[in-house]
Amino acid sequence: MASGQMAAPPAALGRSRPAWLEGLFGQLLALLGSLGIALVFGSILIVLYGESPLEVYSSILDASLGSADGIGYVLAIATPLIFSALAVAVCFKGGMFNIGVEGQYLVAMVTAAWANLSLDFLPGPILVPVVLVAAMLGGMIWAAVPGILKVKRGAHEVVTTIMMNGIAISLVAWAINFPLHFDDAPEGAFVDLRTNNFPEHGLVGDIGHYFGVTPGAHLSWLLFLAIGAAILVWVLFRRMRLGYEARAMGSSPGSARAGGIAIGSTQLKLFLISGALAGLVGMQQILADRGHLPQNYVVALGFTGIAVAFLGQNNPIGIIFAAFLWGILSRGEVALQIQSEVPREFIIILQGILILSVVITYQIAKRRLAARQLQQAGAAGELEDSSAPEDDEGPRGPEDTGAGAFRPAGEDRI
Amino acid sequence: MPFTDIAVAIQISFTYFTMIYLTGIGGLFSERSGIVNIGLEGLMIIGTVTGAFGARFFTDDLGLGLVWGPLLGLLFGALCGALFAGVHAVATITFRVDHIVSGVVINLVAIGLARFLSQGFFNGQATQSDPGGPHLPELNVPGLSSLPGGLDRAFENLSPVVPIAALMVIPVWYSLNRTRWGLRLRSCGENPEATRSLGVSVPLYRYQGVLLSGAFAGASGAFIAAEIIGNWREGTTLGYGFIALAALILSNWNPVRLMFFAWLFGFSFAIPLRLDEAPVINLLPEQFIRMIPFVVTIVALSLIGKVRPPAAAGQAYEGGGGT
Repeated sequence: MASGQMAAPPAALGRSRPAWLEGLFGQLLALLGSLGIALVFGSILIVLYGESPLEVYSSILDASLGSADGIGYVLAIATPLIFSALAVAVCFKGGMFNIGVEGQYLVAMVTAAWANLSLDFLPGPILVPVVLVAAMLGGMIWAAVPGILKVKRGAHEVVTTIMMNGIAISLVAWAINFPLHFDDAPEGAFVDLRTNNFPEHGLVGDIGHYFGVTPGAHLSWLLFLAIGAAILVWVLFRRMRLGYEARAMGSSPGSARAGGIAIGSTQLKLFLISGALAGLVGMQQILADRGHLPQNYVVALGFTGIAVAFLGQNNPIGIIFAAFLWGILSRGEVALQIQSEVPREFIIILQGILILSVVITYQIAKRRLAARQLQQAGAAGELEDSSAPEDDEGPRGPEDTGAGAFRPAGEDRI
Repeated sequence: MPFTDIAVAIQISFTYFTMIYLTGIGGLFSERSGIVNIGLEGLMIIGTVTGAFGARFFTDDLGLGLVWGPLLGLLFGALCGALFAGVHAVATITFRVDHIVSGVVINLVAIGLARFLSQGFFNGQATQSDPGGPHLPELNVPGLSSLPGGLDRAFENLSPVVPIAALMVIPVWYSLNRTRWGLRLRSCGENPEATRSLGVSVPLYRYQGVLLSGAFAGASGAFIAAEIIGNWREGTTLGYGFIALAALILSNWNPVRLMFFAWLFGFSFAIPLRLDEAPVINLLPEQFIRMIPFVVTIVALSLIGKVRPPAAAGQAYEGGGGT
């Protein structure tokens, strides 16, 4: 009885906050903690290079947030990362790892380029949406293969998606060498391999000039599309049946199956949604930055998306902020190059430490939270407090409690 | 098609076999102890940059000659791979982070860390025109390298690491299946609770398994950079770490069968390099031929029936505390 009384005050305190807010608070705390750890490690490195951490950090902030242009660049960097991280998160919530966002967006760039070049007779307001749909279809096709193989043959998606990435690289090379090879090249001149330039009305417009951002940042309305996609994913997981089934599957596949969820079809649907989101990753660079599909396209956006998803703890809204933070750091590379002896690779190390400590601190935060909830549950049972409000919106997914956020209980393991 | 082409393709396949098999052994130790390690690719990347540096440092800067220098370079790559695997070990064993999450993070961080280290080591990555670094003298396999009909080419000019990797199967098999250490390591992967009840420290063995995986994957990366390419360049691991993982799954976590699958995948990598003129294959565009190894891996993974991974692999083990 004594222990029950002692546990009662914190239990009552905890009860005043809904579980999701508690989880969010814990996440924020863990994120700030990890950012602190990364900055401390970074400072040590900077001092080793013989410079002042304060100066280096403030120059990074100045380059990214110090001007409208800087913010424009940060947002343009964040745009594809939001799509990419959302694609990763959708599968992750269902207990699966889509490491193949990389390949999916490469293939999507090819299908989008093909649609853009062959349907150029369509007027702009129709052509651009058609191109985006073509990109989503391309990503879905590439994601369907590992999805089907997982459901039908039990092939682990981590390995198959990586292999699909390898195939996609060659596929893009083939596409810009043969079917989509540009034909408006000057005779005999050395030009990089690429597709034809897309028609002007097939590009997404620059929105930077509304906010006084230089056109060089290539800030486009794809940013709003990305934020819209994040909200849609949030709705999917919070308000729709498929999202509920996915969360149930992600937190406990055994009970999900016992509860009558068709595991296979849910997994496949998640993979297709993930692929559709992945398809949009490459649009910023071909429709806003370049205007064609070049040979030296930007790679690794899919892998960076994994990092951003972890940083945002697979929460769609968290992902928007995580992508923004990632953009700030990436933009900081420019500042380092111009005004510092610290090599630009320093930023990559900073991002790496950040991700490592985020993953570990989330895990610690999650354990503490779970322990506290266990204690609360015990206390509540002892006090027989039946009037306590039952929380909230249906079954507890992993992200309600913070528990299991980094531990999807996948059934088949490597 | 001439025999020489096939022979050379086989010779190339031995090189690929070596990197896939060494990395696969790494994965074997880790997963048999119960820790899933999809960070093998990242560990290889660390091995490439430190191995290339080590080979130059020990040979040129310390002047140890063309046998000891490159050899110590390989070991240096292995050591750094093991050190970096320590991150995975701490995250998964001590902090019980999900194994796949930690592995993905290892892969992400390795790319950046390699780029960062290369700045300090050799001021960025090497270009095609840079002269190659020191490597071990090449070897003709006695007996086999005098085969007739052009087949001798398969066994000529091999890096000495190739036979070493192939012979590795003996100590690996023996240590896992015939020693007390191997029995304990495997039991940590099958039933950690029972293992603990016998007074064996599960985390201790799992740490050893993960560090060994880093050492083997690191050595494999060092082999790629120092022995094959001769320099550090970004992106030379090309997913071999994941191919090794696929080979490990297909082998059912058995070091002997792993040899076969490592060679099979190795041969599929040799096809685009040497057999692109072979019948049927020559009908494909060059870019499609380059897809062959990845397609082979996917098909093999899809055709294999049910595999049985170590029972406790991938699960966090709650008991046993820190060490």
